[in-house]
Amino acid sequence: MTAFALATVLGLLFAAGTYLLLRRDLLRVVWGVTILSQAANVYLVTMGGIVEPSAEGVPVLASHGGHVPQTTDPLVQALVLTAIVISFAMTAFALVLTYRVYQEHHTLDLTTLGGEP
Amino acid sequence: MTDQFVVAPMLVALVTIVATLGTRRRLGAQIALSVAGALAYAGTVLVIVRRVVFSATASPATYQLGGWPAPFGITLVADALSAFMLSMVAIVGPAALVFSVSYMNPDEQRVFYHPLFHCLLLGVSGAFLTGDLFNLFVWFEVMLLSSYVFVAFYGKKKHTRAAFWYVVLNLIGSVVMLVAIGGLYAVTGTLNMADMARRLAAPATFGIEVGAVVGLSALLFVVFALKAGLVPFQFWVPAAYRAAPLPVTALLAGVTKKVGLYAVVRLYFTVFGGTELTVSIPGTDGNTVLAFYGIVLLCLATASVLVGGLGALDAASLEGVFAYSSISQIGFIVIPLAIGAASSVPAIQHLGVLAALVYALNHALAKSTLFMAAGTVRSAIGTSRLDDLGGIAARSPALAGVVFVAALSLVGIPPLTGFFGKLLVFDVALRAEAAFGLALLLGGTGLTIAYTTRMWNRAFWGTETPAVSASSPARLQIAVVVALSACILVVGLGFDPVYRFADAAASAATDRGAYIEAVGLSGGEGA
Repeated sequence: MTAFALATVLGLLFAAGTYLLLRRDLLRVVWGVTILSQAANVYLVTMGGIVEPSAEGVPVLASHGGHVPQTTDPLVQALVLTAIVISFAMTAFALVLTYRVYQEHHTLDLTTLGGEP
Repeated sequence: MTDQFVVAPMLVALVTIVATLGTRRRLGAQIALSVAGALAYAGTVLVIVRRVVFSATASPATYQLGGWPAPFGITLVADALSAFMLSMVAIVGPAALVFSVSYMNPDEQRVFYHPLFHCLLLGVSGAFLTGDLFNLFVWFEVMLLSSYVFVAFYGKKKHTRAAFWYVVLNLIGSVVMLVAIGGLYAVTGTLNMADMARRLAAPATFGIEVGAVVGLSALLFVVFALKAGLVPFQFWVPAAYRAAPLPVTALLAGVTKKVGLYAVVRLYFTVFGGTELTVSIPGTDGNTVLAFYGIVLLCLATASVLVGGLGALDAASLEGVFAYSSISQIGFIVIPLAIGAASSVPAIQHLGVLAALVYALNHALAKSTLFMAAGTVRSAIGTSRLDDLGGIAARSPALAGVVFVAALSLVGIPPLTGFFGKLLVFDVALRAEAAFGLALLLGGTGLTIAYTTRMWNRAFWGTETPAVSASSPARLQIAVVVALSACILVVGLGFDPVYRFADAAASAATDRGAYIEAVGLSGGEGA
């Protein structure tokens, strides 16, 4: 059930991101990219799954001793943390760049911005 | 086994970033530190090359970060292939930096130019050295983040527009890459490239679905083709290359494009290559994942050679010609890779990678020389439009000579480096009896001759235009490009050690067992 819900959410996020990416407004394009990268992050978390913990998958547990409850794969969480930081920085940069494009061209409309520079 | 020196190029770049940031109020000190950092970087690469390839006890060196053993921790691997790619950075990087000290005006250099330049070097070296798929993504981002700023650097109308396309395109590329890496982790259960190669060589033992690996690796391939600027993912190249400062463009074309190429060689030859498919691929004699990419690569290479060559024939400025030419040359680099991948004979695979590496070295040297020469033209004459140029050969023989040497090397005239690249590419095409590959090579070479001749005739011969007569190129800039073109000649004349280096690199790329063992996974246990 969880897998089904996650798959639906992922599909919706990717669809929304792609839709925004194809808009004419520059800011919506940035939003689209942001949503797409969030979708990738959610996807990354789901890739770990919930497994019986063992020293093979979670090396820290080797020295833990005793019983440990079910855990998700900690590696994907570490990966997502990195990916979030990167996509956050990229979004900030893309927003600043959008502002600069507006300053230079006085428009955020992609069609008036022109094609081949 | 831990060899701390593997991490040295990255540490040097990192220290230089901090040092140049700290001295940004005093330009003289900043430039001195920056140049010293670039030279130190080249020195550390030299140490790696000596230890990994040219010493009596040459072997791949690994460094496990934080002392965590291989499949769990982050591994840095310097084998002959990484060393070969790093040595390109070590030649082009310092040259481009010294060139930009003279080319960029002081106000522009004060705007974080030097820290960003070293940030680019840091990202590139990280991508070449990492032995971990997710870290490859991270280093790609480090490299891209600094290249974004460089494309937007001048901040005028066309630069902001080019930068916006470039940023959005690469952000989408990053999302695709993240999805592919996550999927590969879920399917194979590991991110360490050596561990993945070990598991993929025996998919049944580890319960890996080969079909899923093919699909996900294809997704990943799109990203690398985008970074390498292969057709149909080439559209960002001309705009971005024309917008960035020209010394940086030299670095982007000469080195960062090669990161995509390196990733293709490393992942598809070393990691995914050994996986057997149950279907045989038409047009190849293998049934591995690698053979599948042989066909894909050949299609992309064909399109790149043609689109790039024709684009260069039509370009209006020197940078335009070189940017399109760069698309075409990447096609040339990929042809031997494609022929090698499509063959199941190990000798031809080896020769294919070898030819691609030598050609990549030629492209790195020649193309960065040409971009910097275009920079000299632009800073001396004020324009690089072919319509406004003419008679530079009479005005500045040194500059014209440099462009002449680099252009001949692109065409492949002996004794320049390009000749050996072409020779090896023809050799592998003949041995594999790839008639289509040969025809493509001949046609592509014809195009190269056509666009270099056109560029030469219009800009360097003919009557001097008033703008050219009034110009005097800067000494330092001429010195840098002369030194780089001398490199093209020296590598061509003393080709034997370069051949041995490339040979070792090609062996490193195709020898899966040695790579797995080097990371310390031979017995399935961490070292």
